[in-house]
Amino acid sequence: MDKTTLDALLNRRVWLVTGKGGVGRTAISAAAALFAARRHKRVLLTEIGDPAERLSPLARVFGRDLLPEGEPAPIAEGVLGVQLLALTGQENYLNSVMPSKMLARAVLASEALRRLAAAGPSLRELGIFHQLLTLLRQTRCDGTLTHELIIADMPATGHTLSLTALPERLLKLFRSGPIHDNLVEGQSYLNDPDKAAAIIATLPETLPVSECMELCEGLRTTNVPLGAVFVNRVPLDPFSPEERQALAPILDAYPHLPGATRFRRHPQSLAELDRLKRHLGEVPLVALPEIADDKPDSAPFEAERALVESLSRHLDNAFAA
Amino acid sequence: MPPDAPVQPQPLPLSQPDSQDALRGPIGQLVQNQRIIVCCGAGGVGKTTTSASLALAAARAGRRVLVLTIDPSRRLAETLGVAQNPTAPVPLSPERLKAARIHPPGALDAWLLSPRQIADEAVRRLSGSREQSERFFSNRVYQQLSQMLAGMHEYTAMEALHRLLISGRYELVVLDTPPSRNALDFLEAPGRLASLLDGRIFKALTPKKGGLFTRAASKIAQKGLSAALGDELAGELVQFMGTFATLLQFLNQDLKAMRAFLSGPDAAFLLVTAPTRQSLAEGFYFQSRAQELKLPFKGFVLNRSSLRRDRWTQEDQANFDAMPKTPILQSGLRKLAAMAEIEAARQKRDQQVLDELNRRAGERGFAKSVPEFPQQGSDMDLLIATARELCGE
Repeated sequence: MDKTTLDALLNRRVWLVTGKGGVGRTAISAAAALFAARRHKRVLLTEIGDPAERLSPLARVFGRDLLPEGEPAPIAEGVLGVQLLALTGQENYLNSVMPSKMLARAVLASEALRRLAAAGPSLRELGIFHQLLTLLRQTRCDGTLTHELIIADMPATGHTLSLTALPERLLKLFRSGPIHDNLVEGQSYLNDPDKAAAIIATLPETLPVSECMELCEGLRTTNVPLGAVFVNRVPLDPFSPEERQALAPILDAYPHLPGATRFRRHPQSLAELDRLKRHLGEVPLVALPEIADDKPDSAPFEAERALVESLSRHLDNAFAA
Repeated sequence: MPPDAPVQPQPLPLSQPDSQDALRGPIGQLVQNQRIIVCCGAGGVGKTTTSASLALAAARAGRRVLVLTIDPSRRLAETLGVAQNPTAPVPLSPERLKAARIHPPGALDAWLLSPRQIADEAVRRLSGSREQSERFFSNRVYQQLSQMLAGMHEYTAMEALHRLLISGRYELVVLDTPPSRNALDFLEAPGRLASLLDGRIFKALTPKKGGLFTRAASKIAQKGLSAALGDELAGELVQFMGTFATLLQFLNQDLKAMRAFLSGPDAAFLLVTAPTRQSLAEGFYFQSRAQELKLPFKGFVLNRSSLRRDRWTQEDQANFDAMPKTPILQSGLRKLAAMAEIEAARQKRDQQVLDELNRRAGERGFAKSVPEFPQQGSDMDLLIATARELCGE
């Protein structure tokens, strides 16, 4: 793995971590936050929240039910967390465009507008977009950035694309005015390969690799630069080539021999990794090993946290190599 | 064989006779008798494959079936013939019907839900005249954004489902629900959308009568909207929402009828889950929500399970032990034994998971384990193999 490419990745402002359900995207987002914090980045870990939600798997990793609401707050050493909420962004936005605070408050009190904001086409996405932009802009008293790296655990693939496609789509509607300016500023972050990176999480299996390739194409249409692909659960192979050669005919004769499933998985995984690598070309691929769940009886949250810690150590290695 | 050549996957058990396809077990019963089966679950648990397999099983048993899917992988979409975003349900091609051994009267159609398409259709159906619908289509807000309306995906799923069911074309509709963290979102989101788009709200934004207070309040709201979006767009948005709200009032009737149907005896809800902690937590949450909403929850499908029927027998072991082994093979076998331990641990865990699911499903529910099949075979083979597992004893 090319070290400069990966270091450059750490110097971007925002990572949008995406990928289909079940590939460990959330664990990877959390691990990336811990890893970046160890590299002395001021990290903000975030996800798109929903007021109806009571439990977030990402927050569970840090022993909380939900990530903090409104203002970012510490969730781990060197890591702040916050939910991206449509309403927070919409409020920020209104406060910034209304001539007076009082008027803004009066507007926000309007039941009609509140409902419109919750269900109106794209108004939710706009709110989330605006909150992300506000966080990207924030600076400390000394003028340095409050959040050097924002890592967003993006929900399903479709949501990611609808958020990253938002500026272009909405610029057709807003030809001038404050939303237009915000969208252009947002684009200046999200479409700049020095500032933003989409990170795709996937598995070394046929379907996830195919889906990852489809997602790469989708991202290309929205002009969000693809930073890296993190391949999770790459199985370790303890066999020497000679041992493999000796075992193969035996397993053909005894297909149900215990251990056979795992023996077969490895070459398949390698083939899938190869296929993905060929497709990606210059884009870095970070392989993360399969981590045995050796504490099956511990509380779910502890086991998840241990997995995330271990993944973040593997990121140390991947980036140091 | 060179060490890095891909190992050929095991052939799927397709050579068994047709009697294997008889519908057995609790899922076989549902596939035989229900009019609608809703597959819920988190993203990435294999919901779409399960839905397609259930539909296939029913069609093989002679029923006219539709599978309504949301986000299939490209390969599965091609297998089902819906890769090109068809505007109406597509029958399985004759050669695929043959490959799947579906014979008349059995039939399998598939359809991909596209919110925009269904919204367009609803606008056409519900607006009084062609001019009216054209006017609506030309609204910029509608053009750009109708598919981004919160809850739209879920809404269109329900709408399409209702129309297809009352059309009488199908004896069974299998619905693959949109992936969401909250598996029942698709049922609740349309209601939320409908209540948010209550027509009165938009009258409040553009009041023609009313007291001083009403008009003052609406003025503030209008002012806010204009400041936020600009005058022209604010006007268009209010027009869009106002018209859409009227449409939704009609659609609401469908929604109510559909909710009643989904709570009735012809519907069955299945939760598809994977043997991971997170999927399980979601599964249990789903079950309790379904019960709260009085939906007919029937059982769990434990997908990608490591539990297998083809056990390694003592006889196999004896034969194997009798075989002469070279030192290199022996060292390979020692490592294989370590892998077998990991497999055994996973199987033990999956068995515990299955037991727990069965316990939670209660006496009248069930939990069915479906093994993980190699993905290298054709998708039709995968669907057939999965269908057999689902509808087996």
